[in-house]
Amino acid sequence: MAGIRPRIRSTAFSAYLILIGRLIVSAAFILAALPKIQDPAAFTTSVEGYRVVTGDLAVWIALALPWLELVAGFGLLIPQIRRGSALVIALLLIAFIILHASAWARGLDISCGCFSAHESYKAPDYLWLIFRNLGLVTACGCVLIRDWQYPRQRSLGEGASTS
Amino acid sequence: MLRELCIILLLTVIGIAYSLVGGLSTQPGAEPELQAGEIYLADAQTLNAIWVDARALEEFEESHLPGALFFDESDWDTGLLELMNTWLIQPRPIVIYCGAEACDTSKRIAERLRKSLPDAEIYSLKGGSVAWQE
Repeated sequence: MAGIRPRIRSTAFSAYLILIGRLIVSAAFILAALPKIQDPAAFTTSVEGYRVVTGDLAVWIALALPWLELVAGFGLLIPQIRRGSALVIALLLIAFIILHASAWARGLDISCGCFSAHESYKAPDYLWLIFRNLGLVTACGCVLIRDWQYPRQRSLGEGASTS
Repeated sequence: MLRELCIILLLTVIGIAYSLVGGLSTQPGAEPELQAGEIYLADAQTLNAIWVDARALEEFEESHLPGALFFDESDWDTGLLELMNTWLIQPRPIVIYCGAEACDTSKRIAERLRKSLPDAEIYSLKGGSVAWQE
């Protein structure tokens, strides 16, 4: 019996941590998406800068990707689509890490396009970008693992109960 | 999980449709707006500008605009001295270009040059060297 209370506290603490991680990731993606939704033409230039896609494909990616970021960002806060959103965000972040690593390896001098198509023109710090995205992927992974462990629990209060 | 992904996809498609139809944003494929400090090639060619090539030396030696000055961002003082000598002889607008449409080197150099040459008219070429090579 004595061992149950520390376990409850530990579970509640981890639930709070997951919540904070979820809020951070959600905010990051929502803030990243909004300026790019407003100017897909300029974001197309950022997409083409990575020299992976060009032309019409780059145009459609520039149009669709910010909306996917926005929907997944909000979805991370909605219990009914939280797992799917976390999975989408994790996959996007992995793709971004690969893109940044590729641009770095090829010596491309481009603005990230992460939070705006008109970002500062300082030379990109690829290492920071990659580590930042790794942190966000980790947070998403924790959300996914927790939601798989407690599939029926939709609130913080439920997360504090013993399994 | 599949149901959740379908919902996310559906909402994304609705968002895309809203962007396209609702006029929330410019149409895809439209020419990106000119940012502050940028200039189109056609406009730059009417200016009798001092052209500054911010690409790698190998690219510059392979081809460059007639009369363009090579500017190595990593050797700032040398490039600035040469540019100032040219500009002081006959002050003209300065247009900087780099190697690709989305290259930011020309914009960085332009920003720094505006501090070094506050009286000069300085632009970065929209579209980079791709614009004049086409």
